[in-house]
Amino acid sequence: MSQNKEMAYELTDIRYEYFERVALEIPHLKIKKNQITSLIGSNGSGKTTLLNLLAFLEKPTSGQVSFFTEDTKEKVQLELRRRVALVSQNAYLLRGSVLENVLLGLKFHGFSKALQIQQAEQAMEMVGISDFSDRNVRKLSGGEAQKVTLARALALQPEVLLLDEPFSYLDQSSIEQLEFLLAKLTNEFDTTVVLSTHDQLQGLVVASDCVSLLGGNVVNSPLLNLFYGEIEAHYFSTGKIDIYVPEDIKSGKRLVVDPAEIVLSNESLVSSIRNNFQGRVIAISEDKGRVWITVDAGEKFYVQITRQSLSEMSINIGSDIWVNFKSTTVKVF
Amino acid sequence: MGYFSESLSAAFDLIFQLDQEVWLIVMTSLKVSLLAAFFAGLMAIPLGITIALNEFRGKPFLQQILNTLMAMPTVVIGLLLYGLLTRQGPLGDLGLLYTPAAVVIAECILILPIILNLTIAAVQSSDERLVPTLKSLGANKLQLATQVISETRLAVLAAVVTGFGRAIGEVGAAMMLGGNIEGFTRTMTTAIALETSKGEFELGLALGLLLLTIAFIVNLGLQLLSKQGRSQ
Repeated sequence: MSQNKEMAYELTDIRYEYFERVALEIPHLKIKKNQITSLIGSNGSGKTTLLNLLAFLEKPTSGQVSFFTEDTKEKVQLELRRRVALVSQNAYLLRGSVLENVLLGLKFHGFSKALQIQQAEQAMEMVGISDFSDRNVRKLSGGEAQKVTLARALALQPEVLLLDEPFSYLDQSSIEQLEFLLAKLTNEFDTTVVLSTHDQLQGLVVASDCVSLLGGNVVNSPLLNLFYGEIEAHYFSTGKIDIYVPEDIKSGKRLVVDPAEIVLSNESLVSSIRNNFQGRVIAISEDKGRVWITVDAGEKFYVQITRQSLSEMSINIGSDIWVNFKSTTVKVF
Repeated sequence: MGYFSESLSAAFDLIFQLDQEVWLIVMTSLKVSLLAAFFAGLMAIPLGITIALNEFRGKPFLQQILNTLMAMPTVVIGLLLYGLLTRQGPLGDLGLLYTPAAVVIAECILILPIILNLTIAAVQSSDERLVPTLKSLGANKLQLATQVISETRLAVLAAVVTGFGRAIGEVGAAMMLGGNIEGFTRTMTTAIALETSKGEFELGLALGLLLLTIAFIVNLGLQLLSKQGRSQ
C-alpha cells in the first residue's frame, strides 16, 4: 500500500457491520493532516460510526486503517485512542465542576499535576469558559455544556480532533467562534480536524476537504447536487432531465455534480461540455467570500462562483442562465 | 390480650433500660451483618463492574444463574456450609462451625449475588454515553472501572445497603452455622426464633421491635440515596 506522509488517515476496504447489518462500507478514504475535513451526511448515513472508527473506539469488521502512515492493526487501541480526541454530539459530562471535567482526560493520560492544570486552563481559555470553571456542570446551559466537552478534548492537545455535529446546538456567533478556533488549531497547533455535519453548506464553508456519506458509502465530493434516477444508454435520467455520463458507467442509481465543476453562462455554450441546461436563478447567497447560486433547470443545481463573476455576468434572481458541466466530472454510484 | 400488652410493656422496658442481653444480641447482629455486607461488597462491586462493562460468551446465562442465586433458600446455604465446616467436613480443621465467622461467611455468600446483580443493574442503567466518553478520554480498564463506580456510587451503595438489610433479617443460615450461642453467635433473628419457644416472649418482642427499627432506618437510607441520585 502506498503511504502518503501528508495523510492523517488512510482507510482501505473498510467494512463495519453492526448486528450483521453493514453500517459502513468504504473502499478508500484519505484524510489529510493539519487541515479541516468535513464528513457530510444525513442522519443514519454512518457519520458517527466513521468517527468512532477514527477515534479507535470501534474496530472495523474488516479492512485496513492507517494512522499517520502506520498500520493500526497490531497497535494497542488505548495508545491510538490517546492520540485523538472525540467530541460527541450531545456529549456526556461527569458530575462535578467544569474544571474537574476538563481535567479528567489529562488525569487518565497521566500528565503531571502542574501540566494538567496548565493544559486545562489553556483549553478553557481558548473555548472561553474560564469564567465559570468551578460551576457545577448540571447547572450549565446546552451551549455552555458543549463548550466544556470541547475544552475537555482540547486540553488533551490531541493530534487529531474529531467533532460530531459540532454546530448543531450553537447560535450564529458561537458558530463563528468555533470556525475561528478550528482554523487556529490547524494553522498554529498542527492539529488535524475532522468534523461531521448534516448541513452541506456548513460543511463546505468550514473545511478544506469534504467527504460525503450516503447510506454508509463514501463519496469524495459534496453532495449538494445529488440526483436519483436510472442509467439509460449514455445518460442518467432523473425523470426531469437527462445528464450525459462517461460511456464506461453502466449502472448506478445516484448521480452527484460537484458545485465547483459547474460553469455558468448567459448564452448556450458551444464547446466540448456536453451537459447544458437552461434555467432560472432562484437564490443567491454569500458566505465567507464564496458566492452560491441556486439555479432551477428542471432539477435544482447549487453552483459556487466568485464574486467577480457574479458582477461580470450580472446575475440576479430570476435571470435566465445556463448550467454547464462536463460529463467526465459527474460521479455515479 | 393482657398477656400481649404486658409483654409489650416489658419489651419496651428491656429496650429503654438498655438491657445487657438485648444490647449484646443487637451488637452481634450488627457486627455480623456489617462484616458480611463489607466483604460481599468488596467482592461483588469490582466483579459486578467487570461483568457489566464487558461482553463475553455466556453473559446472559451467567446473569440467569445470578438471578437464581438471589432466590436461593437460606437454609440451603446453611446446609452446604455446614457440610463444609463441620468437624468431618473438608474445612472442619479450621474449627469455624458455631463461630461468628461462620455466620459472616454464610451471610456473605447469601448477599453476594444480590449486591452483584444490583451493581450490574446500576452500571447498566447509568447514562449510555458514560462508558464511550471515558474511553474516548483515554481511560484504561482500571480508570474506566473506578470512574464508573464513582459515577454510579449512590446506586452501588444502595446495593450494599440492600445486602446488609437482607443479612440482618436472615435466620436459617445464622441458626445452622452460629448455633445461637449466648453472647457469641446469638443474633436478633436466632434469638427471636429460639428464645421465644423457651418462654422468653418479652425478649423476642423487644428484638423484633429493634429489628423493625433497623429495617426502617435501612429503607429510609435507601430512599434518601435514590432521591439524591435522581437530583444529581
